[in-house]
This record gives sequence, structure tokens and C-alpha cells, in this order.
Amino acid sequence: MQAATKHLSGAVEPDAVSSTGFVLGRYVPQLFFTCAAILLPFLVNALWLKVLTAVAIYALTAASIALLYRRLGLVSLAQVALMGCGGWVALRFAHAFGLPFEVNLMAGGIFAGLIGMILAYPALRMRGLYLALITLMAAGGFGILINVIQFPNGGGGLTGFEVRAITYMPRPVIAISDAAYFSYCMVVIAFGFLLIDVHERGRAGRGWALIRKSEASAMAAGVNVTLYKVWGFALSGFLAGVAGALLAGNLQLLDARSFPPAESVMIFALTVVGGAWHWYGAVIAALLYRLVPAFLNDLGLDGNAAYIIFGLALIHALITAPKGLAGQLSDGLKRLARRGPNA
Amino acid sequence: MIAIENLTVSFGGVTALNAVTVTLDQPVCGIIGPNGAGKTTFLNVISGFVVPQTGSIRANDTNLLSMKPHERARWGLRRSFQKEQVVNELTVEDNIRVVLDPLNLSGRERRDVLDTALDFVGLRGMRHALAEGLNAFERRMTEIARCIAGRPRVILLDEPGAGFSQGEVEKLRQIISDIHGFNGAMVLLIDHDVDLIQAVCQETIVLDFGSLIAVGETASVLTDPRVRAVYLGMEDA
Repeated sequence: MQAATKHLSGAVEPDAVSSTGFVLGRYVPQLFFTCAAILLPFLVNALWLKVLTAVAIYALTAASIALLYRRLGLVSLAQVALMGCGGWVALRFAHAFGLPFEVNLMAGGIFAGLIGMILAYPALRMRGLYLALITLMAAGGFGILINVIQFPNGGGGLTGFEVRAITYMPRPVIAISDAAYFSYCMVVIAFGFLLIDVHERGRAGRGWALIRKSEASAMAAGVNVTLYKVWGFALSGFLAGVAGALLAGNLQLLDARSFPPAESVMIFALTVVGGAWHWYGAVIAALLYRLVPAFLNDLGLDGNAAYIIFGLALIHALITAPKGLAGQLSDGLKRLARRGPNA
Repeated sequence: MIAIENLTVSFGGVTALNAVTVTLDQPVCGIIGPNGAGKTTFLNVISGFVVPQTGSIRANDTNLLSMKPHERARWGLRRSFQKEQVVNELTVEDNIRVVLDPLNLSGRERRDVLDTALDFVGLRGMRHALAEGLNAFERRMTEIARCIAGRPRVILLDEPGAGFSQGEVEKLRQIISDIHGFNGAMVLLIDHDVDLIQAVCQETIVLDFGSLIAVGETASVLTDPRVRAVYLGMEDA
């Protein structure tokens, strides 16, 4: 028995992680987004910067999808609709109160978070296909509703919409130009990823991990399954709402036609392709979603041809990369690193 | 002490537990019986995953049935499952910490509790390792650490020894025997390994087709002819 104890306690001592490397490793996404915020405005022209701003915004949406999928095993097909909710509230606040952009941003995020909590209600009893269908129905409902009430554009009344009125939503004071707004989005997204990271490493992440393993084991460990699921949906909705508010700030108005339920399905599929288990999976998903069509347009091809690429990428991911392109990439890098010192 | 009265559970036409009345007050109590006897259902009722049709369960004068499963866990009810429920993506430490999260311990208390639990099962050296690299025995030990950490009052272990070698079962036996001295918790143990039951349980109950067949001191229960007939089969006859 002594031998057994010794074996158990001595086994992984050499593997203990060096703490400085660990801390640095932890903030890689933030470093990445900060570098992008500083460098990219000098490297690319105005057109591509606009495309990259959209990429940044959808990266946050993809991260909100990946969070639910990775941690709770839940499929939400309503994230673009939640962006729409966040965008609507941000626009309404901007036109009604003229408060600073950050307040509108938070209001949009909080509202979408509340809607996310309502969506969490069916999630308490369902998962898999059934929950996915419910979120898709919600997204469909939003698509119809928003086409009726439209996004606020400076008009009067509760909806704030008038056919003729075109008032643009003001951007943040420190980020009026497109370049500055791109950097601003990058910083917000860095914070969004940090928020996810803090949750995953803390109490919430442990609770979610157990719920994903099995709800019975989570309950047996004292995890309030209802609370933690609602919490997960609220966080995911908040992030999507913030992304929606950023999108509203980018275009300074929103078009109801750009929030059909099909977009929610598309961004979910691309999140799976990108890889829900790595932070940069969300970035890959957003690059596919926004950069590839723009690139095809630039080549003089129809942007819709991107759908063919998406389909192929999805088949590729489902066959060869269960953890998405990001998983494949990081496995490849690990293999290279392992081969490196021996060569 | 656990006092169970008139506990009945049925799933459709199948009566999984039939008017079970028993009071358990020894540090380690064994639950044995053939497959399908209702042993796991018995634990599931205590943990709150199955709601009984009739009956009451009082543990240390607390009515367990009025609490939700996670509230029972916070009260001090812990359990392990037949198939261990260790989460691969979490470290050994985080797998244990999850039960401490709802207990509102201070940071210092939590560290102490975590350290002693890891020492108790001999996993301190691998606390930062991801659980996916653990072998079956280390995974079981992680789950037992989850059960004994904090201030548990009642611990339910569902076949913790299944599939282990002689040496590993020996260590497990030592750990189960030490639990009561370690934190004062009472242990209910389901296992098919009669040697393990004999070695660690002061008291044993026998279930067959949902009915309580025998209860009492382990040695005398195991020699009861009725128990031999239903559980040990005819090989000793």
C-alpha cells in the first residue's frame, strides 16, 4: 500500500506548470487582440479595415456560441437574434438619451443577457436537437418581430423608427474614425474573452464542467444546475448583445433584413468548423464568416460562393477535426514543437 | 444516524423498494444484494434523484426528503457513482474544489480542506494534473476525495471497488475504513466484493427484489442462511 501511495503522489511532479509561462499563456487572447488593435490599422486599407471590424464583432458572437457549446454542451441557434436584441436596445438608448456609447453598449448587452435567461428556461429540461429547435424558433420569431418594428433610426415613439428619419448612432467619442473604431472593438472583444476566461476558470466553469459530464453528478456535488445553466445563457446572451451593440456602432444603424434566423445557424456551423475548444476557434469562425465572402468579392467572384467553402469546411471539420480547425492547428503545432528539439 | 421508514419506490409495475424500514448508526454500513435488488435505487432516493412514493428518511434528525439534491449535497450528503464522474477537462484539484464552491468557505479554509482531502487519498502530488491523464484507480480516488472534502455527514459509495486489482482494493479498504475517523462522516457502501464489505462494514443490510431481507452486524448477516440463499448462491450449500 505504501508503494501505491508513493506511486500516486510522485507521478506528475515534473509536469507541474511553470507559473510565469502559465500566467502569460492565460492572457494570449488579450495580447493578440491588443496587437491587432495597434497594428492592423496601419497595415490594411479602409475597405479591409471595415471587413476586419465586422470579423472582430462576429468573433465575439462565435465566442458566445462556443462558450455554451463547450461548457454546457448546449446548441444555441439564436445568437444572431440576440445580437439583434442588443443592437436594438443600444440604438434605442442612443437615440433616446444621448448617453455615452459605453452605456448603450452595456444596456444592449444586459438586455440580450436577460433574453438569454428566458431562452435558458427550456434549456433546463431539454438539450440537443430539441433545445436547438427552440432557440431556432426564437430566432425566427425575432426575425419576424424586427421586420415589423424595425431598428430605431431616430424616429419617435417606443420603436424609434420612422421611414424618412435617418439619424446615425454616434460612435464613442474616442473612436470616431473607422480605424479608431476597429481598435475600440478589439479592446471590447479582449475584455469579452477575458470575461469568458474568468468564468471558465472559476466557480462557474467548474459547475458547468460537471453539468456537461452529467447533471446527476453536478447535483450530487452541490451544484445548483438551474442557476448555473441560466448563468451560462445570461453570459452568452450578454456577449452576443455587446457584439450586436458594436455592430450598431460600426454601421451606425442596423437593417432588420440582416438578422434572419439562417444567419444564426450559419455562425453556429462556422463556430463548430473554427473549433469551440480553443479561443482562436471563434476568430477563425469570424474570419470565415466575414473575410472569405469579402475576399471572393474582391476577386470578382460572387460572395455567395463562400457558402460552398463553408459547406466543404463543415464536412472537413466533421470528418477530420472533431475539435475544429483550431484543434487541428494546435495539435499540429504541438507535434511540431515535440519534433523540434529532437531534430 | 440514518432512520428510514416505510420507503417504497416503484417504476410503473416494478417495485424497486418495498416498504423498507431500517435505522443505520454504525460508521460504515454495507448494502448488498443481487443485481436488480434495489441497492442503487436506495442510494438514489437518499441523494434525491428518485422521489419515493411513500416513506421518510431522516439523517441526524434532518428530513432529507424535503431538500433538493444539490441542497442535500450542501447539507453534507456526498456520493460516488458506479461509473466514476471525474471531469477530464478539469484538474484533479478543480474536480474536488467543485464541492467546496457552494460551502462559502474562506480562501484559507478552502485551501486547508483541499490539502487534507488530497493527502487523505494520496493525490497531492498530482493536484494540478488534468484528470484525463489519470488511471482508473486515480480517478476513483479523485471521486472519493470529492466525497470526503468539506464537512460531509453522510457519504454514499456505489461500488467503488469494481474492477480494481487486489492491491488497489486493499488501499481502497484502508481509505474507506479511515473516513469516519477523518471527518466523522457515516459511510454507506454498496459493493459486490463480500471481502471488502466484511473488512470495512460494522453493519450490513441485504436487499432482494426491493425488500429488506436482513440487517445487523456484518458477520452475523453474512452467515444468515437466508442471505446465503439469495445472495451468495448455492456454492456454500
